[in-house]
Amino acid sequence: MRKSFLAIVLMYGLLFAGSFYWQLCAPIQDHPANPRYYQMFKERRGAVYDRNGLALAESAPDGEIFARTYSTASLSHVVGYFHQRYGMTGLERIFHEDLSRGRSLITTLDLAVQQSAEEALKGREGAVVVMKPATGEVLALASAPWVDGNELDANWSDYLADQRSPFLNRATHGLYPPGSTVKPIVYGAALSQEHTVGSQVWDDGGSLAIRNRTIQNFGGKAYGKITADQALALSSNVVFAQLAMELGDGLLTVLREFGLGAEIQFDLPNLGGHVPGRVSSDYDFAQLGIGQGELLVTPLQMAAVASAIANRGIMMRPYVVQEVRGGLKMRQITRPQPIREVMPEEAAAALLGAMELAAAEGTAQTSLDTAFDYGGKTGTAQMGQGSDHAWFIGFAPAERPQAAVAVLVEHGGSGSQVAVPIGVRLLEAALAVDE
Amino acid sequence: MIRIPYRTWFEFTGWLLCLIGWLFWLQGQIWWWQPLVLWVLVMVLFFLTRGLGYDAGAMPFMAVLAMTGWIFLTRLSPAWASSHTWGILIAGLAYLLGLWTGSKSFGHPLVWAGLAIGLLAATALFGQSAGGARAWISLFGLRFQPVEAARIFLVFYLAHYFTEGRSKRELFAVLGSFLLILAWQRDLGPALLVFFVFCWLSLHWQFSWLKLCGYLAVSVLGFVLACQWFPHFQNRVVAWTQPWEYLDSIGYQVLQGLFALRSGGLAGRGLGAGYVQVIPNVHTDYLFAVIGEEFGFLGTFALLMVYLGLAFWSLRLVHVMTEPRRQLIGLGLTLLLHLQVFLVVGGILRIVPFSGMTLPFVSFGSTSLAAQLGMVGIVAGLGGKGGGD
Repeated sequence: MRKSFLAIVLMYGLLFAGSFYWQLCAPIQDHPANPRYYQMFKERRGAVYDRNGLALAESAPDGEIFARTYSTASLSHVVGYFHQRYGMTGLERIFHEDLSRGRSLITTLDLAVQQSAEEALKGREGAVVVMKPATGEVLALASAPWVDGNELDANWSDYLADQRSPFLNRATHGLYPPGSTVKPIVYGAALSQEHTVGSQVWDDGGSLAIRNRTIQNFGGKAYGKITADQALALSSNVVFAQLAMELGDGLLTVLREFGLGAEIQFDLPNLGGHVPGRVSSDYDFAQLGIGQGELLVTPLQMAAVASAIANRGIMMRPYVVQEVRGGLKMRQITRPQPIREVMPEEAAAALLGAMELAAAEGTAQTSLDTAFDYGGKTGTAQMGQGSDHAWFIGFAPAERPQAAVAVLVEHGGSGSQVAVPIGVRLLEAALAVDE
Repeated sequence: MIRIPYRTWFEFTGWLLCLIGWLFWLQGQIWWWQPLVLWVLVMVLFFLTRGLGYDAGAMPFMAVLAMTGWIFLTRLSPAWASSHTWGILIAGLAYLLGLWTGSKSFGHPLVWAGLAIGLLAATALFGQSAGGARAWISLFGLRFQPVEAARIFLVFYLAHYFTEGRSKRELFAVLGSFLLILAWQRDLGPALLVFFVFCWLSLHWQFSWLKLCGYLAVSVLGFVLACQWFPHFQNRVVAWTQPWEYLDSIGYQVLQGLFALRSGGLAGRGLGAGYVQVIPNVHTDYLFAVIGEEFGFLGTFALLMVYLGLAFWSLRLVHVMTEPRRQLIGLGLTLLLHLQVFLVVGGILRIVPFSGMTLPFVSFGSTSLAAQLGMVGIVAGLGGKGGGD
């Protein structure tokens, strides 16, 4: 009897375990053979709005199903798309549980800024992220080329065949050497150690010999006797290679504190890039200090870096969904959240000044007319083959930054010529947002 | 553990009636007298069993299961539920018949064997087929499945076989012809069930590891041969091992059941909110998946707990029986019921290949319901008077 009793309990135990697995754990919910999958196209899905309540994604009846429309094409890399045949991506995928229950998303995006970003990137390959430094709100996130969520049926095979990878979100998943845009971090690290480093005078002979190798300035230019502030403004490789060598292992720590080398806690998945774990030679430190070598970053990370500098050393967690709203009562609000202090306030203030100098008389100057002062840093990521990638990170207005931006244009050549005008135009658009 | 005080029992039926009343109000399409009739039946059976001095502890479990089945059939189709109401009434009579049969000790083993095989043979010769197996007999306009009763008679025979030490040759003849006829009818579920019950009873009667290994070897051999000989069985095995590769043919039913279960999650999508019309034969084979989708893991957990409670009730009763033959019959019938639960639910949960039997007390199907209530009646009857609360 005892054995029979145990055997029956064991049998039911198996059934309990099976129920538990298939009802709570098995990853089969979104399988296309599940008819409930098609059910979700027959129900009205929640909308996605920008910060001003303008619809970014909406569902409208189309015969038996509801069709999803998007207010602008570049949203496919942030809002994503939702399609009966091609599945879902971006926020549509991550917030599917909420959206499929009719709840709506209120994002921090601004449709006007997003459209400016789209305009600026059209026909290029690259990415743009615009943020509010004080809160971490993402005003625009674009990556070019993109797929148009409204035209998936018509263009799907072209998208698949496109060599430029329109499905790749370069803002979150594109990995690039930061080039000279790493210099503000190096300078920030130096300022954090020694506040007076900005007025130190360096002798820049145009090239620096380290053992049997040399580091050269861009175009081989020699700047002579310059202060460190000027070195940043003029993007002197010679000075920054030396600063990096002086900082040594401390530089690696600071790079990680700025959020490089690790995935950012964000509403969208993103890559962490690469910061070397150990650097053995002076030459490699010098390379790191000018953003070449092993270092790899995403445009989203660089936007967070620009934001942290603009926010006087406090890095805020970037976010794009500020509220999930459903029914009359259900509201789930995201609050701005600091990640960490990346440098002391005085160091950040000095760095802001140096970047303002770069915009006023250095490499980050622009010929565009602007109604505001801005600060920034350009970068040119040298690639093994093909032309260089152009970078710009910046913020405006210079004295009390309200917007920060990171721009990357693949094979754009020099940062000053290509990336700066895009960044300045986007800062202008971002400053027009509210207030 | 199993003793249910009066008060609990009344409270419980009250809740059940509330649920049914809510359903009635919600759907507005069932006949109000049906739940009332069922409730009256359950109460009559409960007090009758008590009044006669038998253990009525099984009634709450059976009532919950039968009512759950009735509620879900109402949700699927009120027409099925109406028909099921009659089925439950007939099953009530079968329960009383079982109680009476169990309380007497009569019958010759060869009579039981003859009845079991005769019923099967009659089905095989004059039966009608439905759903892949020729398992129905039509008599005076009523259709029923004799195999449901035949396996009870076979358990009676097996009890005699062990206690009287009857000849092995006779056993081979009886069991062999029983299984062969079932195999010929392509009704492999009951064949499997009867074989397992035989093995279990044999081990219960006299346990040895050698025998256990022998039965395991025979099971494996039978499994392999069945795969070779019966394409029907082979399909079921393939649908069990690799349903994803046959998701719109033989794997369809299994997968749709799993999708239904998974979409239920923890608390379910709510009564009537499931998307279960896509599951083939949902009212006979797959009610468990419907319960899983609409009442969630909490619902299926509760359902399995009720089955487990019923199993404890009958095992306790069987345990205190002194006469070996009664004990064997009681255990055999308990196993028939709970191995069937295991094979059916396990089949839906992909623990074993799906064998296409009904979920005891819950599924649509009057014959199986009557046989199952009858079995519980027999167990209660075997327990004798004075054993109950």
